[in-house]
Amino acid sequence: MKKLISALAVTLAMTGAQANAQDIAAMNDLEYAHIAYTADNIDIRYAHLALALSTNPDIHDFANTMIRDHTAVNEAALGLLDKLGASAQDNAFSQTLNANAEKIIAGFVELRGAEFDAAYAANELAYHQAVNDLVENTMIPNIDNAEVKALFEQGLEIFKAHEGHAEMMVKALK
Amino acid sequence: MMKNTYSRRSVMVGAAASAAVLTAAPLRAQDPTVHEVHIRAFSFDPDKVQVKVGDTIRWINHDLAPHTATADEFGWDTEEISKGEFGEVIVTKDMETSYFCVFHPHMKGTIEIL
Repeated sequence: MKKLISALAVTLAMTGAQANAQDIAAMNDLEYAHIAYTADNIDIRYAHLALALSTNPDIHDFANTMIRDHTAVNEAALGLLDKLGASAQDNAFSQTLNANAEKIIAGFVELRGAEFDAAYAANELAYHQAVNDLVENTMIPNIDNAEVKALFEQGLEIFKAHEGHAEMMVKALK
Repeated sequence: MMKNTYSRRSVMVGAAASAAVLTAAPLRAQDPTVHEVHIRAFSFDPDKVQVKVGDTIRWINHDLAPHTATADEFGWDTEEISKGEFGEVIVTKDMETSYFCVFHPHMKGTIEIL
């Protein structure tokens, strides 16, 4: 069951990003802002689930860091949008991310203990790898506004640190 | 342990106070020093500081993500430092000299007490 959930999480994270790379490259900055905001909120949802279902202190520490950091990025994004007098635009990829997240969460809630911890850690690694690849190679090169681009670059720096942290967590749980 | 908002005004006030002290009395060799450690791109810069007992170490966070500077065995802690804020610790004789960020444990730094 654990392997099945982990595999599902990895597959959903990777296919969601790769299948849409060309479409995403053609999107505008406000659609990128919506994708980033959505991706942040999804990881915050996973983290709250981890706090509710896991009893592992390391998982709790990681989850709290995800909530703290992704909230900081989202607050900065909302501040920048407000400054620019713009609103994030919903789009097909944001909807795909949310639909995939619902499936992953449905799998998570069936797990407990070490099985949940391993599945959560594997999903965090896969999710950050997929999103980081997309942000770095597809979104940032196509962002027009310099301030939006700078914010995405700062966000990427944070998410890469999370990816490294998730990688250590996956190894520690094996 | 202190946490403050880092602003141009506080720097200017500090600079004015330092100037006043310098005018009133020459700086003594043993006067405490404030050592700044900048937190940028998930790193402590510099990652090693040389200090004396009574000095202050000030960690200034330039990252979007909140950070901490926390002793490895939790003997001292700046608590959470948000972007644009700083946390300070006064150097004591027996303080722990290895520290990390509680939120991002791969971030590490050391203190050398001279």
